[in-house]
Amino acid sequence: MFDEVFLPHMAEAYRLAQWLTGNTYDAEDVVQDAALRAFRGIKGFGAVNARAWSLTIVRNAAYSWLMKNRPKAVVFTDDLSVAEQQELEHEGPYGTRIETPEEIALFKADAEDVQRALAQLPAHFREVIVLREMNQLNYRDIAEITNLPIGTVMSRLFRGRQLLIALLGDRK
Amino acid sequence: MIASIKDNDELQMNAYYDGELDPASAIEFERRLADDELLKARYDRLLSLRRAVRSLPQFEMPPGLQARINAALDADRPGQAGRPGQAGRLTRRSWSFQALAAAAVFGAVISSSVMLTIERYDQREDVASQIVAGHIRSLLAPQPFDVASSDRHTVKPWFTSRLPVSPQVPDLAAQGFMLVGGRVDVVGHDPVATIVYKHAAHTVSLTTRPAGQSVSDQSIAGYNVRSWNDAQFTYIAVSDLASADLTTFERAFSGGSPAPEVK
Repeated sequence: MFDEVFLPHMAEAYRLAQWLTGNTYDAEDVVQDAALRAFRGIKGFGAVNARAWSLTIVRNAAYSWLMKNRPKAVVFTDDLSVAEQQELEHEGPYGTRIETPEEIALFKADAEDVQRALAQLPAHFREVIVLREMNQLNYRDIAEITNLPIGTVMSRLFRGRQLLIALLGDRK
Repeated sequence: MIASIKDNDELQMNAYYDGELDPASAIEFERRLADDELLKARYDRLLSLRRAVRSLPQFEMPPGLQARINAALDADRPGQAGRPGQAGRLTRRSWSFQALAAAAVFGAVISSSVMLTIERYDQREDVASQIVAGHIRSLLAPQPFDVASSDRHTVKPWFTSRLPVSPQVPDLAAQGFMLVGGRVDVVGHDPVATIVYKHAAHTVSLTTRPAGQSVSDQSIAGYNVRSWNDAQFTYIAVSDLASADLTTFERAFSGGSPAPEVK
C-alpha cells in the first residue's frame, strides 16, 4: 500500500521540500521524515488522492522541521501584527497603484533572479506558488494540502504573484 | 469600494490563468481580455512570470536518498510505530565520500527500478476496462470532453496546466478525425490526458499514459480498444469504430505527432 501511495510521488515530494526549506540537506531530512510519517500513517489514507495526501504530509513535515530548526523562516500571517497582516493580505507592500500598459513589462529575468525572488517570498505565499507552478496542482488540491479555504488559496496566489512581480521588477 | 472591484478582477484573472474558471466565466473573461489593453498587458505579464518560474531547473532527488529512506523504513518495521520521529533520525551527512559515490551509482539504478516495478504491478487489463469506462461515462455526459476546442493550441495548454506530463495534440481533420477537445480521466489513482476526436458520428477517446504500458487490443462492452507506444507515451484508443478504422486512426495519429515512430 505504502509503495503504491507514497513512493510514486517521492521525486515531487523532494522538490516541494526543497522549495519549502530552501536547501538540499534539509529537504532530504524532511522527505525522509515524511516517508516515515506516511509509512506509519498509511492506514489513514482514504484512497482518494494519493498525490495530495503525500504532499500534505511532506508540507507538514517541512513546517514542523522548520519550526524546530529555523523558526524564523516560518512566519504565518497569524503571527503578524494587524497592520502588517492587512498590508500583506489586502494592500500588498507594492500597493494598488494603477499602472499604464506601457509600464507593464514582460520578464526577462534570469533563472538566478527568479529563484532568489521565490526564496525571498514569505513562506505562505511561496508554498501556494510552488504547489501551483512546480507541482502544477489545481486549487482544490492546494487547498487540501495547505488546509486553507479555496478563497485564501486564490488570494495568496494573486498576492504572491504580485510580490514576485514586484521583487523581479525592482531588480532591473 | 474601488479597490475591491479591482481585486476581484485580479482574482478572476488569476483563476483564468490557472484554468479554474467555469466555461461561461472563462469566455466572458476572454472577451474582456480582448477589449481591455491594460488587462491584457497584466495578463501577458503573468504569462511571462509563469514561463520564468517554470523554466527554473527542477531539483532532482539526490541519488542516495531513496536507499536511505528504504533503510529507515526497514528499521522502522519491527513494531516501533509508537515513536514518531525517533527511528527516522538517521545519521545524516556522516557518510564517507566513497559511500556517497557508491550510493550515487546504485541509488540511480535502485530508484529507477523501484519506479518501474511499481508500474508493472498495474493490472493491465483492469486499466483497459477503466479506460473504456471513462469513454462510456464521457458519452453519457452532456459532452465527452472537459475542454471543447478544435484548436490544438488550446487543448495542449489545458492539459499542461493540469497534468505533470501531457501529450502532443495533433489535429487530424485532414485524415478524417476531427479534434473536438480533451478531458482528464483517472486510471488507478492517476489523472491521465484523454484527447477526444470525432469521426463522422463516432467518438474516439485517446487516453495517454507513460510509455510502456500498452494493453492488448480487445473489445470491451462493444467498444474496440487499440493501443500503441511511442518514445514518450502509451496511447490507448477507445471507440465504437471498427478495429480497421482504429488502425487507420493510429496511423493518422502517429503520422501527425512530431516524433513519429512510423515512417
